[in-house]
Amino acid sequence: MPEHEPECTETLLEVEAYLDGEVDPALAERVTHHLSDCSPCLDRAEFRKHLKQMVRDKCTERAVPDSLVTRIRQLIEEP
Amino acid sequence: MAQAVPTHEDPALRGRFERDVLPLLPSLYGAAIRLTRNPTDAEDLVQDTYLRAYRGFAGFQEGTNLKAWLYRILTNSYINTYRKKQREPQTVDGPEDIDEWYLYDRLGGRNVEGSAEEEVLDRIPDQAVKDAVESLPDRYRLPVLLADVEGFSYKEIAEIMDTPIGTVMSRLHRGRKALEKALWETAKERGFVDA
Repeated sequence: MPEHEPECTETLLEVEAYLDGEVDPALAERVTHHLSDCSPCLDRAEFRKHLKQMVRDKCTERAVPDSLVTRIRQLIEEP
Repeated sequence: MAQAVPTHEDPALRGRFERDVLPLLPSLYGAAIRLTRNPTDAEDLVQDTYLRAYRGFAGFQEGTNLKAWLYRILTNSYINTYRKKQREPQTVDGPEDIDEWYLYDRLGGRNVEGSAEEEVLDRIPDQAVKDAVESLPDRYRLPVLLADVEGFSYKEIAEIMDTPIGTVMSRLHRGRKALEKALWETAKERGFVDA
């Protein structure tokens, strides 16, 4: 773990919520600043970000079965 | 559900349902597949969700969060109906026993040039990632799906799951760790990493 500095400890603790966009602006700014400055922490943050995006891309269904579209249409047309 | 005008008797309401709710079908179907783990149950779950949403649409306040409202219906319907039919997958370790940087450390993150860890992730086939998500128990799978696939905020997930926000955060954290472990096992089994 790259915990050489207190900033590393804080960043690694908060990086999950940071990547979720769920930290307050002051903390977000500290984390952003630290990541611009510390490549071991940046590497971990980039990995987590990539993982999150990969889960999203690979679990998104783009095709809905025609049978389901028909069922939903019928539901609206026949009260 | 509000006892207001039935949606089918109000052309404006029905029009709004078609315009706003129908386009969310692919996203709701995707979540239903990951929850029920099979296409037949997923179709039934989505149909049930749309039926409940259609009947209760007069009670939905326009301008509030429609997507979250629908996911709440989907989640409740899943919990009340489909979950009872299924066995929970057994997890060997509780996620609290999984290291904080489980997957990063195993993919050789310590001394790697460039982005080799990310390249290994990209080689995992779609179905293997879906299987890993589906292997998570409900209490972890739901927040991971809602946050990472659907992009809901912690507050929205708390509303959808009717759970305090602190619980959402801890389950999401544990769920992601469990997912990292499941992905690692999958990558190992399928020979994407040497281990």
